[in-house]
Amino acid sequence: MPTPVLMPQMGESIAEGTIVRWIKKVGDAVDRDEPLFEISTDKVDAEIPAPAAGVLTEIKVNEGETVAVNSVVATIGAASEISKQEPLGSAPPPAAPSLDSVVPRDVDAPPAKPAATPRKTNGRTAAKPSEDDSRKQRSSPLVRRIARDNDVDISQIHGSGLGGRVTKNDILEYIDSETGTGDSLGAEAPGAKAAGSGTRDAGLGNRTADPGSRVEIKPLSVMRKKIAEHMVMSRRTSAHVHSVFHVNFSTVERIRQQKKAEYEQLGTKLTYMAFIAKAVVSALRRFPIVNASLDGDNVIYKKDINLGIAVALESGLIVPVIKHADEKNLLGLSRAIADIATRARSKQLKPEEVHDGTFTITNPGQFGSQFGMPIINQPQVAILGVGTIEKRPIVVDDAIAIRTMAYLTLGYDHRLVDGATGDQFMSEVKQQLENFDAQ
Amino acid sequence: MAKSFDVVVIGAGTGGYVAAIRAAQLGKTVAVVEKQSALGGTCLIWGCIPTKALLEHAHALKVIQHAAEWGVTIPPGSPAINMPQVHARKDKIVGGLTRGVEFLFKKNKITWVKGTARLAGSGKVDVVEGDKQTLEAREIIIATGSAPRSVPSVTIDHTRIITSDEAIHLKEVPGSLVILGSGAVGVEFASIYRRFGSAVTIIELLPRLVPVEDEAVSAELEKSFKKQGITVMTGTKVTRATASSSGVAIEADTPDGKKSTINADVLLVATGRGPVTTGLGLEEAGITLERGYIKVDELYRTSVPGISAIGDVITLGTGVHPQLAHVSSMEGIITAERIAGQPVQPLNYDHVPGCTYCDPEIGSVGLTEARAKERGYDVRTGTFPFGVLGRAKMAGESEGFVKIVADKKYDEVLGVHMIGPRSTELVAEAVLALRLECTVEELIKTIHAHPTFSEAVGEAAHAAHGAAIHM
Repeated sequence: MPTPVLMPQMGESIAEGTIVRWIKKVGDAVDRDEPLFEISTDKVDAEIPAPAAGVLTEIKVNEGETVAVNSVVATIGAASEISKQEPLGSAPPPAAPSLDSVVPRDVDAPPAKPAATPRKTNGRTAAKPSEDDSRKQRSSPLVRRIARDNDVDISQIHGSGLGGRVTKNDILEYIDSETGTGDSLGAEAPGAKAAGSGTRDAGLGNRTADPGSRVEIKPLSVMRKKIAEHMVMSRRTSAHVHSVFHVNFSTVERIRQQKKAEYEQLGTKLTYMAFIAKAVVSALRRFPIVNASLDGDNVIYKKDINLGIAVALESGLIVPVIKHADEKNLLGLSRAIADIATRARSKQLKPEEVHDGTFTITNPGQFGSQFGMPIINQPQVAILGVGTIEKRPIVVDDAIAIRTMAYLTLGYDHRLVDGATGDQFMSEVKQQLENFDAQ
Repeated sequence: MAKSFDVVVIGAGTGGYVAAIRAAQLGKTVAVVEKQSALGGTCLIWGCIPTKALLEHAHALKVIQHAAEWGVTIPPGSPAINMPQVHARKDKIVGGLTRGVEFLFKKNKITWVKGTARLAGSGKVDVVEGDKQTLEAREIIIATGSAPRSVPSVTIDHTRIITSDEAIHLKEVPGSLVILGSGAVGVEFASIYRRFGSAVTIIELLPRLVPVEDEAVSAELEKSFKKQGITVMTGTKVTRATASSSGVAIEADTPDGKKSTINADVLLVATGRGPVTTGLGLEEAGITLERGYIKVDELYRTSVPGISAIGDVITLGTGVHPQLAHVSSMEGIITAERIAGQPVQPLNYDHVPGCTYCDPEIGSVGLTEARAKERGYDVRTGTFPFGVLGRAKMAGESEGFVKIVADKKYDEVLGVHMIGPRSTELVAEAVLALRLECTVEELIKTIHAHPTFSEAVGEAAHAAHGAAIHM
């Protein structure tokens, strides 16, 4: 039996995907789970594995085309049919008629228009979670019983218990607030509104090149387009201000040297970023407003600290998220940072791993920048930019000394975070780093 | 020169030493000031450990007294208890455990300062007796605990009129013993000395024994105590106790309005324990007290920043704070973790298990039936007697029951109350059930191994939903 290959649903909020590259050609033999093609969605780029072993008999959606999820993009013939195929080397044309009849035609992709596809997913991020998701929400037998009796979706409730478990009090308070004011904060996924504030036109391309001039015109990649939209939207949404702090990394550097070997034995590298992440987590806990979002007239305080770490890719940028970063120690953070960075570069991130960040750290310093003025990753309200970490002369006790120093920049949304708070937050980060407690 | 520490703990009882170890595990430098010559405090030296050791002796005697029923032949002459040997074994157990705490201190590099502590202004603790010095502390944890307390009408003389501190060391079994107060301490010593051979009378001001327990448990204990020959006087107020060389005369008002005088060799006062704060300099330090206890918030912070308090010495201002070793140690852990900047959550005091090692044992957690009704729950209960179980018949322990108190609306398990064999162990399942917000239905669906005493828990859950299988 031939197996249809579908455009995968990479996350509840993702409606369509663009095929960036076919890794296999028609006629190639594929193993189950062998990378078959590469897609780009509005959240993430990913390699998609073959759903079955066999021979790629037909490609229905060409590179650069965008189709709805669950559209058939190719067909794999069963392994037993390999012998019926044309000899290897002479690939059949893209429409192999012999297997066509079993594939529904109505899902055929529209003509390619990758650069003009409207962003259909705007406003859909608050879609009702699937049953699967609600089962993943930690609760208790009692909470599930109360939920059943009151027809409440547990996944909409913030859990105050260990590991985010929804407790009896959480659900009773939720039911109270629902029946009381009718205006429930928890029911709306944070940031769902902010993400849809009219940014279809990214503001690019309004000045076209003169005909005949010496230029080369290329369509934007999906990722580039999303970055462009997101950055302009953020600039429009937030009242950006920046504070720059000069931080002494000598203590961190000493601990790093001491623990380097130990961490290597444990299979990970101890980077500055792990220390910075640890300090940021601790400061976020002291200043919950920096870990919040603005939604209309409400402030949404996020109880979890989910740290986004910006990772530069060859052709763009992605911000994978370390969920519950506040539950990790230095080793755990080191591992998590290394893991998401590696997988971001090898396109192995899952869509949910770029969701739900509550604060972002970006590191322009790795390319030599003294400090950056980063743009906030919406709907968050602050972002930390890490400048290059290097030895500099500074004044210590009225003498010039050499210390390992770096500029850290906080970009924050003045709508929610005032200068005093932003600076107090930063001085806490500085204090944590300069007196790092390496337990 | 003052020695400086991240954390100085005052008192090395269960709360203090656990807080110290947890803080040290989290990388803090820790000193503990203790005025006693051994570590471990009330629990290890005067409380939990010695009394439970004595109760095991009483249990051994009980089995031997019933040797004939077990088909064990013992030489003629009735079995008797040898007090010097009992104390030797008990003291060996206590010594082993207190040295165990010393070992844990060394392992965790905790400094043990021998002496009496006094708060000396911001971040400072004076050691005024013993190793006199001043310690500097970024954080101070007061864990000075409690001591037995009498009632106004009775003066303790430590020979004829004694407290639990003396009751664990009695060289001879008293011919007659009157116990004032029927909380855990009172009923445990009643069981010990009745088994050892004393004529025991227990006097309780309130209308029932073990007043904090469910009423059904109180009734079952009273029935059992009477069967064992313990005289139970509830609703009785002691107005005077007079010690003489030959004994104690106890005058009391009985519930029928009459006055009565009871004579005994020894009067044990077990009316409760009060906070130990003398000489600590709390008022000078500006720490708020309530009825003599240190007032703390739900994360054990006193009114003075940088000073926390845990254990028997505190009040949360929300009713009676349980004076139990396992509560103190949990409070110590929470406090140490908070000081170390870890995320912490307040303790739910409705989920504190109570274990009383009288015979029959009592284990309970959560709301009693009466308390659940007070809170407005539509209550249903299920009770199952141990006597029906094969396992209990084998052990010759047929007293007692498991009672589950549940909310009818959402089926939540609100409380579990048990009296009978192994109840202090069986309660663990119930504590977890409450902690994880279990419903009665989940308890029913949980497989209880056969043959075990724990079957009574599953059966009581069945009973709460209508009918037990084996009844």
